[in-house]
Amino acid sequence: MSAPKEQGETPNRRPRAAQRPAPSVNMEELRELIALLRDNGLAELELENEGFRVRLRRESSAGSSYVADVPQHAPASAPVPAAPAPAAAPSGPTHPGTHASTEASQDQDLHIIPSPIVGTFYRSPSPAADPFVKIGSNVEPESVVCIIEAMKLMNEIQAEASGEVVKIYVENGQPVEYGQPLFGIRS
Amino acid sequence: MAFNPRKFKKILIANRGEIACRIIWTCKEMGIKTVAVHSDVDRDSLHVRFADEAACIGPAPSAQSYLNIPAIISTAEIFNVDAIHPGYGFLAESPYFAEICEACNIKFIGPPANVIRLMGDKIEARRTMHEAGLPIVPGSPGEVTSEEEGIKLAREIGYPVIVKASAGGGGRGMRIVRSEQELGKALETASTEAAAAFNDGSVYIERYIEQPRHIEIQVLADEFGECIHLGERECSIQRRHQKLMEEAPSTVLTPEMRKRMGDAAVAACKKLGYSSAGTVEFLLDVHGNFYFMEMNTRIQVEHPVTEMVTLADIVRNQIRIAEGEPLGYSQDDLLIVGHAIECRINAENPETFAPSPGTISAFNLPGGPGVRVDTFVYSGYQVTPFYDSLIAKVIVHARTRELAIARMKRALEAMVIEGIKTTIPLHQKIMDDPRFRAGDIGTDFMEYFLARNGKKAAAS
Repeated sequence: MSAPKEQGETPNRRPRAAQRPAPSVNMEELRELIALLRDNGLAELELENEGFRVRLRRESSAGSSYVADVPQHAPASAPVPAAPAPAAAPSGPTHPGTHASTEASQDQDLHIIPSPIVGTFYRSPSPAADPFVKIGSNVEPESVVCIIEAMKLMNEIQAEASGEVVKIYVENGQPVEYGQPLFGIRS
Repeated sequence: MAFNPRKFKKILIANRGEIACRIIWTCKEMGIKTVAVHSDVDRDSLHVRFADEAACIGPAPSAQSYLNIPAIISTAEIFNVDAIHPGYGFLAESPYFAEICEACNIKFIGPPANVIRLMGDKIEARRTMHEAGLPIVPGSPGEVTSEEEGIKLAREIGYPVIVKASAGGGGRGMRIVRSEQELGKALETASTEAAAAFNDGSVYIERYIEQPRHIEIQVLADEFGECIHLGERECSIQRRHQKLMEEAPSTVLTPEMRKRMGDAAVAACKKLGYSSAGTVEFLLDVHGNFYFMEMNTRIQVEHPVTEMVTLADIVRNQIRIAEGEPLGYSQDDLLIVGHAIECRINAENPETFAPSPGTISAFNLPGGPGVRVDTFVYSGYQVTPFYDSLIAKVIVHARTRELAIARMKRALEAMVIEGIKTTIPLHQKIMDDPRFRAGDIGTDFMEYFLARNGKKAAAS
């Protein structure tokens, strides 16, 4: 779906790190990540690559529930004519999909499964159950890949493509918006 | 983060465009967080940019985004908001949406659902408000179902008559009929138009008041039965029943008339059990008789002219009232200072009124004393063809009407929008029109104006 170029957004650094071939993380990279977390006022940062996963969390006074962009508002006095296209703006609202959109925009070789609705993303039919799909799972168009809960209704989302799941852009239990990339499929 | 002692900590704005921005500005002043919802083509809108949180709720067609109740409620739940402000249009006058909000424990910022429902049905509204003491234009007591019935009624009422859609609004499903021969066809076309526009083909008949003025009274009511009015707005400058320009106060209302109309509106709203901001629309004839037309149970596009002359923040009052605060003002507190005019800047060809979507290549906002602009666009913004064409409202305030007109003229001159066509040149011409300058306006004004300026009379 639409993946606007949000150059000013911070989270596009994450996929860059994730694309590194090394299946581990060294101290320097870790320091980099901590600095990234601190400098951008993020509350939590999770990095996953084949073979490793690191999760950093900061007790933040801002108390944002999202990993992505904590709003850092421009001065309220910014004149409207001088407030150009949001793409060039230094900040913006907390948008649940920004993070995933930015990440997915770099996976142009993949078939992206977008969220058809606003809701909460669940990878498994119940908290105790196995996820519908994992990295490496093969899916058919009718395969259920996740559930999105909207107004207490559990909506099963189908892959609508066949291939191998190579990317999962959203964490279990996170809110998703319309058009937000959920999975990357390699056919 | 500053401590916010308010009841509402976070509000979702179920709208787009300038009104979504307008609501966000007041929320910021009140220390309330905002959640914007938007369609995928509105991603770069200013209401998304300035909200604290935002979610894309669907594709461009309104039915799948701004009218998509499950998506909006779902977003409200995800972001854990206390209340929803519906703005105007979209779901603002949907009693069903108001009920769902209530069922989900989210405060709907507006009047109770049953009042919205009652005022949404134009026949019921007329009956109810007439019972509540408001004069109404002589007309059919209910829906007109046959031509024979229509002819009989029209004879009693007297020609000219107007055929209107029960579920109507925005001029659709309306026909002016000057003779008995025209009536049958008018009933049929109005009904067909109404069925297409509102999914309800029922129509009614009333006397057509020639050269009336459209005068409306802004009311504010709390949830404890207290109600005041904030004076009137003159909205006679309309094309195809769509307002183009509004002003406050009206040039023809004496303080006595203002009191009569205002008191009548307030008394009716009290009987109705109204709360929140609302507008009672009247037709005023040349003899000073006024007739109830309809009630809008929401904030209106033209609310800023009232805000300018009364110094009230109507959105703030809507929020306060929804929080359960008492009104805190009495009618005696109303002060009307100076004169305000609002011009609606539409992305339209100023001569043919054809929509003009496209990218805004240059944009300058007027400033200086007494000028306010409510907008959501900027240089580089792409005006899409999916929604209404209103892109900005220029509002001026000055000590007198004459000064306000001069101020509007220089504000419009400095309002530069390039890349698309807008109605700015039209407003500039109206500002120079002798009849307008003399305050001699009625709902027939645009018909006269367009004819005078050599254009086809496309006004009615």
